Amino acid sequence: METESTPQQTVKSAEEIDGADLVVGILADLGQYAVAGLCDDLRGLPGNPRVVVLQNVPQNALQNHAASASAAGSDSSAQNSSLFLLPWTLHGQSLPTTPFESVTAAFSSIFALSERLGARGCCLLASHLEYAPSKWICRLTEPLLDKSSDFVAPRYALRKFEGLLNHSIISPLTRSLYGKRIQNPMGPDFAISQQLFQTLWGAEGRNGERTAGGMNLLASLLPRAVCSDLQVCQAYLGARTYPPVDWTAVSSLLTQVLGPVFLAMERSAACWQKTRASTPIRTLNQPLPVPQPAGSVEVARLVNSFQLGVRDLQEIWGLVLPPAILLELRKLSRLPAEQHHFPDDLWVRIVYDFALAHRLRTINRDHLLASLTPLYLGWVASYAREMENSEVTAAEQRLERLALAYEAEKPYLVSRWRWPDRFNP
Amino acid sequence: MWQQVRQALNQSTTDFITRLARLLPGFVALVVALLMSLILAWIAAMVVRRLLVSMQFDERLARLGSSAAEWSPRRSPTLLVSTIAAWTIVIIGLLIGLAAFNSDVTSSLVRSVFAYVPHIIGAIIVLFVGLVVARFVARSVLIGAVNLNLGYARLLSVGTKWLVIVLTVAMALVHLKIAVGIVELAFGILFGGIVFALALAVGLGSKELVSKSLERDARKNSSEVLEEPFRHL
Repeated sequence: METESTPQQTVKSAEEIDGADLVVGILADLGQYAVAGLCDDLRGLPGNPRVVVLQNVPQNALQNHAASASAAGSDSSAQNSSLFLLPWTLHGQSLPTTPFESVTAAFSSIFALSERLGARGCCLLASHLEYAPSKWICRLTEPLLDKSSDFVAPRYALRKFEGLLNHSIISPLTRSLYGKRIQNPMGPDFAISQQLFQTLWGAEGRNGERTAGGMNLLASLLPRAVCSDLQVCQAYLGARTYPPVDWTAVSSLLTQVLGPVFLAMERSAACWQKTRASTPIRTLNQPLPVPQPAGSVEVARLVNSFQLGVRDLQEIWGLVLPPAILLELRKLSRLPAEQHHFPDDLWVRIVYDFALAHRLRTINRDHLLASLTPLYLGWVASYAREMENSEVTAAEQRLERLALAYEAEKPYLVSRWRWPDRFNP
Repeated sequence: MWQQVRQALNQSTTDFITRLARLLPGFVALVVALLMSLILAWIAAMVVRRLLVSMQFDERLARLGSSAAEWSPRRSPTLLVSTIAAWTIVIIGLLIGLAAFNSDVTSSLVRSVFAYVPHIIGAIIVLFVGLVVARFVARSVLIGAVNLNLGYARLLSVGTKWLVIVLTVAMALVHLKIAVGIVELAFGILFGGIVFALALAVGLGSKELVSKSLERDARKNSSEVLEEPFRHL
């Protein structure tokens, strides 16, 4: 039953293995030497655990995988080996457009195999990493094996203009809601314990994942862990290489990612309403310095998008946002690009109002999330203008101030969540 | 002679009184049917109003962005629906009352009116669905166009909305069998006109956008690195 969603190729090879302590899925195309390095690091894990490494191999490159496996020093048929490197092909999947899509496609496959092998935890690697600390894979997986953590999230080196959707909404919202200061609650590189994946597998379920979109599982990782009183930590993994952005696809990205985040928020409302203040979480590894992008950034197009949204989307935003916020937005849109500044409290209230409208289904949910795009680009323009000539520490402080604004405005969210009609300033 | 005239007059008077007397039960039935339908209409209007108020019908419609309030009495769609329900019952009562006369004219009139009712219901459903679809499509186009940075997003949205509305109204009129030929011709002219106007507006307005888009595609094909420094996820 559990192997239904596991790709056929994986099952064939994995059937020869009777059990494992850890299952590692490598979704990123890392190259054979990087994979060999990872395998060496995994062999050095304390207690000599049995590790199954699934390496994503395109269908047409399966024959070449044997060479890669021998480069990694693995024999996938040896029953007494402590590490098994197996090819892994996601059948029936079209080419993913974002790393998150590939992660969600791989998710159920890894879960099913981990459950079958009785693994103590599983780990998914979906990104190319630069400036990574040595043995970072061990830091990511050790907490699962020594049972000190159930969810090990990644912490990437901060680059000012990368991961903006995460920095502006997902991370501070998660911190404010669930009280955990976690940088990347949705991965996409992470490790989770058997207890957490069984909770997720049972709660979100195979049907839930199919009907509501696979992103739900990623968005549910931290809420499920925190609300089930499981241990959470994060590990520095170096700098993540982000795929190039297509500015016309930002609205579909927002719809794909924020929908599940707001849905997870709705499902765990009873849990996050009790949380008051945030606390830091255990962070493994030490950060390494990472070069920052130099030069000026062009924000005119972003400001133009924001101004166009304010001009044309009033009718839609009027159904979602209180009049005071609409007034603030109109004032903001009249400023020239060089004076464009999106106040934190305004941005936070907008995000909270959109989350509430998503819950109340005030308008069609896809329309709602897509209509957030000009506001998001307005925030990005404001942030980029402020941080253009700043050091990375200034960016960290700026994002910390934003996270504090999310926490400060939480009573507003709770009030509107409980009494949406009565409390409408 | 006088005797014959008197006899004819008597005969006519008797005929008139007999026919009047025959009509009386039908007339009484009409009055009773009207009175009963008025009472039923009042009750139905009250029930519908209370039901819709308890469902917060006006607020829900407003949330959906419906413009029904603008053309409703006292800006209340609840009042509009309850009034429509009441008048429907009154008209049905009137038709039943007319049928009680049992004359050929009234019977055929009632039959033809009742035979037309399904067309009216069908047309109302077509109109309702069309208006909902028009609003949905207009919103999709508006948001999509704004997110593509198109300066004429509102024009596109309004144009699309009116295209769907014109199509819907034409379908409803054809369903009602009202001047089918004229409707088809007028629809063709109107629809074609709107499409032509939109094509001109979009075509002339987006020349630059199309050329930029082609340039961007060309750059992508030549593996040129994107200059956009922002990474969202």
